[in-house]
Amino acid sequence: MKSTIPWLIAAATGFVMIAAYFIPAAQGWQGEVGTWFEILAAFAFVLGGANLFAYHLGKISARRAGWGYSGVTLVAFLVTLAAGMLKLGVPAPDRYPTNAWAGDFQFEGSVSWWLYWYLYNPLNATMFALLAFYVSSAAFRAFRAKNTEATVLLVTAFIVLLGRTYAGAWLTSSVPENYSALTFPGMTAIILAVGNTAGQRAIMIGIALGVAATSLKVLLGVDRSYLGSDGD
Amino acid sequence: MNRETLGWTVVLLIGALGLFGRAMSKPEGMGKVYIKAVRIAPDSPTDTRTTFTKVEPKDSEAIVSVPRTVGVWIAALGTLAIFSFLYRDNVFYKLAESVFVGVTAAWAMVLGFWESIVDKLLRNLAPGLMRAWALPGLSDKQEPNYLYIVPLILGIMLLWRLVPRGAWIARWPLAVVVGTFAGLKLVNFLDADFVSQIRNTIIPLIVVVNGKVDPWASLRNTGLLVGVLSSLTYFFFSVEHKGFVGNVSRVGVWFLMVTFGASFAFTVMGRIALLAARVEFLFNDWLWLIDPGDKRPKGW
Amino acid sequence: MVLALWGFGSIESARAQDAALAAPTGLKAVDHPNDVGTSVDLTWTLSVDDNARAQPRVVNGYEIYRSLVDGDEREMVGEVPYGVEKFTDQQCTAGVPYLFEIISVGTGEQRSEPARLAKPITPIRQWIDRSRAWFGVIVVLVCGAVILFTRLARFGKATYVREIAGLQAIDEAVGRATEMGRPCLFVPGLQDMNEIPTVAGINILARVARTVAEYDATLTVPTARSLVMTSARETVQASCLAAGRPEVYDENLVYYVSDEQFAYVAHLTGYMVRERPAACFYAGTFYAESLILAETGNSVGALQIAGTAEASQLPFFVAACDYTLIGEELFAASAYLSREPQQLGSLKGQDAGKLLAGALLIVGCALATWAALAGNGSPAESMLVFLKDTILGRGGAG
Repeated sequence: MKSTIPWLIAAATGFVMIAAYFIPAAQGWQGEVGTWFEILAAFAFVLGGANLFAYHLGKISARRAGWGYSGVTLVAFLVTLAAGMLKLGVPAPDRYPTNAWAGDFQFEGSVSWWLYWYLYNPLNATMFALLAFYVSSAAFRAFRAKNTEATVLLVTAFIVLLGRTYAGAWLTSSVPENYSALTFPGMTAIILAVGNTAGQRAIMIGIALGVAATSLKVLLGVDRSYLGSDGD
Repeated sequence: MNRETLGWTVVLLIGALGLFGRAMSKPEGMGKVYIKAVRIAPDSPTDTRTTFTKVEPKDSEAIVSVPRTVGVWIAALGTLAIFSFLYRDNVFYKLAESVFVGVTAAWAMVLGFWESIVDKLLRNLAPGLMRAWALPGLSDKQEPNYLYIVPLILGIMLLWRLVPRGAWIARWPLAVVVGTFAGLKLVNFLDADFVSQIRNTIIPLIVVVNGKVDPWASLRNTGLLVGVLSSLTYFFFSVEHKGFVGNVSRVGVWFLMVTFGASFAFTVMGRIALLAARVEFLFNDWLWLIDPGDKRPKGW
Repeated sequence: MVLALWGFGSIESARAQDAALAAPTGLKAVDHPNDVGTSVDLTWTLSVDDNARAQPRVVNGYEIYRSLVDGDEREMVGEVPYGVEKFTDQQCTAGVPYLFEIISVGTGEQRSEPARLAKPITPIRQWIDRSRAWFGVIVVLVCGAVILFTRLARFGKATYVREIAGLQAIDEAVGRATEMGRPCLFVPGLQDMNEIPTVAGINILARVARTVAEYDATLTVPTARSLVMTSARETVQASCLAAGRPEVYDENLVYYVSDEQFAYVAHLTGYMVRERPAACFYAGTFYAESLILAETGNSVGALQIAGTAEASQLPFFVAACDYTLIGEELFAASAYLSREPQQLGSLKGQDAGKLLAGALLIVGCALATWAALAGNGSPAESMLVFLKDTILGRGGAG
């Protein structure tokens, strides 16, 4: 029973949203539902935060390996939370000079702003930049192509890379105009227009059917694993 | 300490000395951030409060900002700490990771509170209170929208999970979320990804331009249709992939590999650009070894 | 001479008075279709003075006025520039009859006589969006196929499902982890429970967690969203129960990390390098960090099985993981792993959808080819337009 009622709720809301797509008066509900979800996700943060706290506090109290770093995480967490919730260092905005709570918590010079610009953003951008190194190691692995499929992937990547850069255009610049399809930029254009487009469209059509089937299984109660079991 | 630890300690000491030397070698130092005072409300005759904003060192009113300079140094060291993971896991990376996780987790909560709870939920349920507190710009005509009690109740049911025997109540808001979006995504995906892609792929297999057949365009269109149909065949689950179906499916896999190869190439180019941006931060904003934007006086 | 000049002057002013601005003609109004009754569509024929090539311009634009049938006041509801011969008033009230009139506007204060509607128009609320009727048919066909085969599977013979290598390798991966005494890692992706790939990932988690419980191995599930953590905990607990091993469930192994994509992956890579999982499962929505995950997993020697619907990340998973579920295979995975007849039936329904897509493509391309060869105005062309704009578009009543 504990998963039957939630399933029925899921089914009811789901079929209502499907019907709403076809009813002019209800076509604006999609936006409302998005807003409600954002509110619910904000409530869920309390669960996440509580879990984070419990996880790291547990590590510290049990002195498990790496408990010092858990302490660092908790301190960073609490400082950021306090700075943002209490709007530390945020002056009242110019339009409402007496209302300190009306300011933007990301105001330049505030504690939250400092945390964002000198911790959040640089560390984030650096993690992103690591990808340049990982791409090279992935490419090296792909170079050891063991079958036809991997070879096709590799050759395509090579042609498109060259075709989109100056090097490729220069390498095949001596090819006559009539055979422009054999230059790197020419081959890239064909690959993108035919091969890439065909694959992308087939993947998208397949995904759409997969989403439809998964959604239906949720709405019909065939798949209820996200709700847990019946007996507890 | 063992040889490897000793070796790394020596390397780090040399690096620190190098930084120190670089910072001391010039009177202007390096890695500093300059600010100047500006009025929050420049046009107001009564509000004379000031705040600080970043300026380039060339500005006549520029002064050094200690917190922001410390920030640049911390950001630079954090950047190096993350890069150090490429070699192997180490204490600096673990520190940077711990700080990163803590700051970002709290940031998401703060953002969720101010932008969702206050600006969307409380604004609709208690506009008067919000006008007096955090949203003074709220229109006087804004009336409470009691429909927003629904997400409030669902949110409280979700929090019931923290109560020892209340875990099952949290399934209801989960069911609302999953069910609602299952219905929504079903029609959205069938519209945008199913019907639209089919419509875009309906093309003539023989292209006629000014009364003449264009062989290359016709070949391209035919290739596109063959590609889509064969790739779709690969995704058939309830038919065994042998014989004719198997061969068509193989062709489909090749088309998919072409798709992946093109994606790979595009992404590679983008990632190199990201690395260049971080290197520029280290060499420009921290070490002051390059100045592509001509923001600092010559000779610095 | 003076008399002649005076006469000439009066002829000129008479001519100026005669040359009044011409009004637009043929004003028609229709209820805007497929709406809640707040819009009316107006069309008219341009004023004869509205000449695109005239220098200086005579007509600068048009003003549209609306009044109630039994009211005298008229209000301006819109203005459009020259050359435009339609306008939609979106501020009406459903069920209320209105009268419209339109005036040409020239330079200065020059205005023409109004062109009026012959009869009032009443905007009506439509309950069904007819422009989506054919799309509704397609939805019914696709969903109907899935539902039909799901139901039929209960009575008919077992549905054949082709092998999906990545899913067959799950048992091998978990067994390997058990032998090596190392944990398994499951990453349900970056998005929240409002995205179907995440739901599909959680469904796969249910199967993997059950296998892990049966093998008595350890499964760690760090999540990037609080709701996903909540659902994952329910799922893993239920799986342990279904495997007959409720005591192995440890809720501390299913935890929340951070919403931020790269903080999440920084934690995951740190975990992988320190705990060295023997099997890594990635199922859900992934973005740029997919490569970091897969490469780090490789470096620690884990067996990696990945599945995502993000076409741009598939190349990296294909290059770096041992097995990859491509697009639709991610959604088929839970059905495949469960082996339940109903679930396998749904796969057949998905295949029926692909057959529909293929049929529409073949018919459409055949029509397009015929239309290209037959030229303008052929029956093939009108059938093609019907297929593309009405059946697959918003045509018809839209």
